[in-house]
Amino acid sequence: MTTLVKASGLSKSYGTVKALDQASFEIHQGRIVGLIGPNGAGKTTALKAVLGLTSFEGKLEVLGLDPRRERHRIMQDVCFIADVAVLPKWLRVRKALDLVDRLHPRFERSRAEDFLSRTTVRMDSKIGQLSKGMVTQLHLALVMAIEARLLVLDEPTLGLDILFRKEFYKTLLNDYFDENRTILVTTHQVEEIENILTDVIFIDRGRLVLDESMDSIADRFVEVSVKPDRAEAARQLGPLSEQEMFGRRVFLFENGNAEQLRDLGEMRTPGIADLFVAKIKERSA
Amino acid sequence: MDPNWNDSQPIYRQLRDRVVEMILEGILGDGDALPSVRSVAAEYRLNPLTVLKGYQELVDEGLVEKRRGRGMFIMEGAKKALLAGERELFLNEQWPSVVATIRRLGLNLDDLVEIARPELEETEGDER
Repeated sequence: MTTLVKASGLSKSYGTVKALDQASFEIHQGRIVGLIGPNGAGKTTALKAVLGLTSFEGKLEVLGLDPRRERHRIMQDVCFIADVAVLPKWLRVRKALDLVDRLHPRFERSRAEDFLSRTTVRMDSKIGQLSKGMVTQLHLALVMAIEARLLVLDEPTLGLDILFRKEFYKTLLNDYFDENRTILVTTHQVEEIENILTDVIFIDRGRLVLDESMDSIADRFVEVSVKPDRAEAARQLGPLSEQEMFGRRVFLFENGNAEQLRDLGEMRTPGIADLFVAKIKERSA
Repeated sequence: MDPNWNDSQPIYRQLRDRVVEMILEGILGDGDALPSVRSVAAEYRLNPLTVLKGYQELVDEGLVEKRRGRGMFIMEGAKKALLAGERELFLNEQWPSVVATIRRLGLNLDDLVEIARPELEETEGDER
């Protein structure tokens, strides 16, 4: 298993605000890792540190290199997108390709052209004339033509409608991702990507709240839908959270005893969004 | 197209069940190719490992075979094997309680066969 990113005790403060507070995590090759957190949790700061775009304290290795001193070498194997719907409006599509061709040593122009030929994006269009969805396609064409080992996506589908968001992830899985590639993605729309992820990292006020593979989440967390008369019994077992839904009480348990829980009601694996809310509340309590 | 995954079973398991259903319904026949892991992952926006895990279940059950470099294929006799399994399940688990009910209610076996005959003959006709 190749480790692409290795952070330990990663910290960063803006004045008195701790954007990252002793964060430690690893990212391995062939994984799709979701970095999930509320606004201001430190997601973007963490990504910036990985990309060598900010100073920090603690230890951080990206592809075995130090992003503070070897950013140039790291960026040959790392690709970064913040918000796929934005590219310079005055630029023509062909010029955008020229630009990346000159900037990035691993850019394969023919792959980008090939991908674009399957879309409605024209080489001589100005980016300002393209629809948001078309800009996304252009952005994807540029990114997917780069032979990168690590792709970092920061809220990539912000402002796109549901169809384009689906299309974006579909293309990413179909034309880009394979076991040699690794994706690190932040998003607010967790439901949309949770089935794509192999791992999730929850971050809240600079601290990691959870860092698990999706498989071990299914082992560790259980949601039980409990009939009202069993609710008190469920509370006795120390649930992480409790919600009411259609007259039933839904309890979320961490490391619960499967035998006891089966007695209470119907069990299932919680969704990432519910799990996230429960973990954040647990911290605030 | 979005399949409606439920939360009570892992998705790889639901994927496996779906393929089994398609085999039983004859949508996928002996020797047919399964869609590639990549295309299923992209279409349903699933992690490829999830799809692979579902396919692996089918391989382990002897319903699907991997052909190197060519993909996954339905094994010869997969439907037959599935049907045999279903029949065995019925005879071992459901039939005894049906028999017990028949006895408890004091039903006559010949009458029961007579009642069921028209419908059974109809479905037999469908199967051929």
